[in-house]
Amino acid sequence: MILRRFEVYAIRPDAPADQARDLETACRECGRFIPEVLDCAIGINRSDAPVQLVWEHAYASPEAYRRYMVHPYHAVVLDRYILPDAPQRIVVDGPLGAGLYGYGCDAPSYRMSEGWRRLVLLRLDKDSRQRDVERLHAALEQAPADAGEMVVSVMAANTMGAAWFDGVTPVMGPPRWSHIWEQGFPTRDALDSYRNGDSTLAEVERSGWEGFMDGIVNRSAELFYEIDPGPTETVRRG
Amino acid sequence: MMHLVDTVEVEPEHVQEYLDVVSNLAMAVMTDAGASFVSCATTSDEIGERVFVQVVWAFEDHVRWNEIRKNMVLDPRFHEYGAVASALRVGGTRRFFTLRTLTPSP
Repeated sequence: MILRRFEVYAIRPDAPADQARDLETACRECGRFIPEVLDCAIGINRSDAPVQLVWEHAYASPEAYRRYMVHPYHAVVLDRYILPDAPQRIVVDGPLGAGLYGYGCDAPSYRMSEGWRRLVLLRLDKDSRQRDVERLHAALEQAPADAGEMVVSVMAANTMGAAWFDGVTPVMGPPRWSHIWEQGFPTRDALDSYRNGDSTLAEVERSGWEGFMDGIVNRSAELFYEIDPGPTETVRRG
Repeated sequence: MMHLVDTVEVEPEHVQEYLDVVSNLAMAVMTDAGASFVSCATTSDEIGERVFVQVVWAFEDHVRWNEIRKNMVLDPRFHEYGAVASALRVGGTRRFFTLRTLTPSP
């Protein structure tokens, strides 16, 4: 099982610019130092959500993820900017809840080496029936059929939000955002065209999911950014 | 054995307050999570400069640190410690050191 993972950071307003760039570089180049880190890229959020940096990546398996977790680069370099007690911390606790989201999948259908990524964080009704969740899943993953601008559409439960320690076992309660809808667009114009367009799901999103599939979606938030994979040689693929 | 070395820069008037945070919050959070306290030292507060407070913790290796890290993150006191400490410090670094054995040449 592939683990697809996103870390989302709100940068402290008074953080030195060079340290913010250092965190971007640390994320973008992570795959150079930890070979288990695949499809590694960053993006600067351009949505209204008050977060700045998104780090997208993946692991070929939970075992690969666990090797990342114990790698010195993780503890020494990445955590330097992130852990609450770290003297060089430059992030703040984000309004979107813990800034870690992700899911398991059988194939890297999320994969894009360039273009624009859009993450829609979803909170489904906690009493949703499994068959209704599956209906929603099918509708969202079929979105490109109705919205031609969208070239990637993956919807999955946000398992990584609670299972961040080993990629499989929840170590905390259910995350604030129960599901993720990961989208991809070739250009910013295509992204805007979808968001402002007349496809069924674009209209549903603009309406705040009001009444869609019996109101299964309670709340949503969006992030979008241009994918910045850095130098080509740093991007590893499974 | 590894050492985590936090070297934190504080204004002279905040040194005691920062040391109290280490004594009362960090000590409990870190040791309950599985780290061992090694030492705490400061530079002089009588020379007209900011003071560096260096706190050292020990643990076996990065695998053990990963477990300690999990325990800390799941401990609400860790986040309180982080918030209080960040309000007092004006700079600093965190580095991980691996102990090395020196063998003098004969």
